[in-house]
This record gives sequence, C-alpha cells and structure tokens, in this order.
Amino acid sequence: MIKDLIYMNGYGIFVWLSFFITFVVCGVVYLKTYKTLKKYEKEFASEIQELSNERKKIILKKSRVASQALSSYKETI
Amino acid sequence: MIKFFNISSIFVWIEKLINFINSIFFILLLIAISIALIFSPADYLQGDSVRIMYVHVPAAWIALGSFSSLALLSFLNFIFKIKNLSLISKSIAPIGLMFTFLAIVTGSLWGRPTWGTFWVWDARITSMVILAFFYFLFILSHKLILDEEKANRISSLVAIIGFINVPIIKYSVDWWNTLHQPASIKITGSSTIHSSMMLPLLLMFFVLILYCALIFLMKYKTEIIRIKKKNLKRL
Repeated sequence: MIKDLIYMNGYGIFVWLSFFITFVVCGVVYLKTYKTLKKYEKEFASEIQELSNERKKIILKKSRVASQALSSYKETI
Repeated sequence: MIKFFNISSIFVWIEKLINFINSIFFILLLIAISIALIFSPADYLQGDSVRIMYVHVPAAWIALGSFSSLALLSFLNFIFKIKNLSLISKSIAPIGLMFTFLAIVTGSLWGRPTWGTFWVWDARITSMVILAFFYFLFILSHKLILDEEKANRISSLVAIIGFINVPIIKYSVDWWNTLHQPASIKITGSSTIHSSMMLPLLLMFFVLILYCALIFLMKYKTEIIRIKKKNLKRL
C-alpha cells in the first residue's frame, strides 16, 4: 500500500515533486511574509515606545492602527 | 459603508481573520492532500500523473484570478485614485507571481509523463510565461520607482495592458493547436470531469485560496504599518 503510494505506477517522482515544490514554496513565502510583518511591527512599536509619554498618549488615542500594532507586538514578546 | 473601507477599521479585522484562517488551515490542508493523493482515483488514460492536476490547476486559476483583480483594482485606482486600492494591489501581486511560477513548474512536471517533454513553446505555456513577466514588471515598478505616485501610475498601466493576456491564456487552447488539453471545467456548459476528481480539485483550490488570503492579509497589514510608520511624525 505504502509502496504503491510512493511509486504511483512510475509517476510518483512527478507527483511527489509537484506537491513538494508547491508546499516548500508556499512555506518559504509564508515564513518570509510573517518575518517581514513582525519586523515592521517591532520597528513601529519601538518608534512609538521611544516617544514622550504625552505624544505617545495622543498617538495611541488618534491612531487605531498604532494602538493595535503596539498591543499585538506586546503579545508576541 | 465608507467607514468600512477605512484603513483603521480594516486593520482591526485583519488580526482576527489571520487567527481564524490559521486555526482551520492545517486541518483542511491535511484533508485535501489525503483525498488528492490517496483517496481520489487514478485517471483511465493518464494514470496517477493526473494527481498533479490538484496543485497545477488551482495554481493556474489563482494566477489568472489574481491578475484579473489586479487589473480591475488598477483600473479603479487610475480613475478614483484611492490609496487603499494600490495597497491591496501591491499585496496581491507577489501571490499571483508565486502561483504563476507554481503553475508553470507543476505543468512542466505533468508534461513529462503526458507529452514526453518538460517544455514546449506552445500557446498556453508561452502566454503563462508572459503573465509571469507582467507580474514581474508590476512588482519591479513598485520596487524601483521611488516616487509612490509615479510607481502607482506605471504599475496600474502594466496591469491594465497585461490584462489583454488573460483571455489569450484562457482561450489559447481553443484558438491554437497546442499540446495542452482544452478546459475540462467550464463555468457555462457541462464539465467533463468526474465528481470523484472534482471534489479534491475544489478542496485543494479552497485550501490554496485560504493560503492566499493569509499571505494577502499579512502583506496588507505590513503595507498599512509601513505607511503609518512613515506618517508617525505627522500625527
């Protein structure tokens, strides 16, 4: 049964290679995209953290994106 | 309605959607792969090589669908100049390029046992390579042109011109004599594919669409943060 699944009547190399390439490429793109997102989140959050308390308060009140990004970054660390 | 399209409102939903897709994705992927590789039947003519269809066809559909939406968004952006549309386009383009590449590679791997060759410059394959070239131009215009306004205009133009290629890809198998088989699945008219193969095909398509949504949301979120980061000093 397993042998049949691997060989697939001689077509196994083409079938498995197709699936392997597809999922490796998808996996690499996923990891790269995730890393870039986390990098930007980290940079953005640290820029907000560096601001004075008063400015930080204003920005977090004004920008939902800033407050969301900051809280999402804090969750990951 | 306008509030719904506001970047800040969308941003709140992105995290929730990413978490939701992540929670169901791997289970669905396992089910789809099991059905595609184990439980679906072999083709009477092509044998087990037909299983390549379960990654090749969805990849090609996504490649074409992504470029069509890219062209539509670019056209709307050309007229209405909505910044959000260019952010969406920028996030879609790399996904489309990736699936065009996958469609070409898996098609080539399917071609070897079916046609006896990995590559021929026939109408369908050549037009898919041209599609990859347009995706590449679109991404390159955003990477190389520093003036964002100009980059948006040029990339929109690339997408609109490139859209001419989409119906050529679709009908290339009918218009020219090619090695590539005609479409088995038709939106209008009856499909010539058995339900035992149609089910895994649609399931794999759904799983890959979920994957696209996941990558799109992460890329879109990155783009929003990049813009907000730039505007931080102005707030």
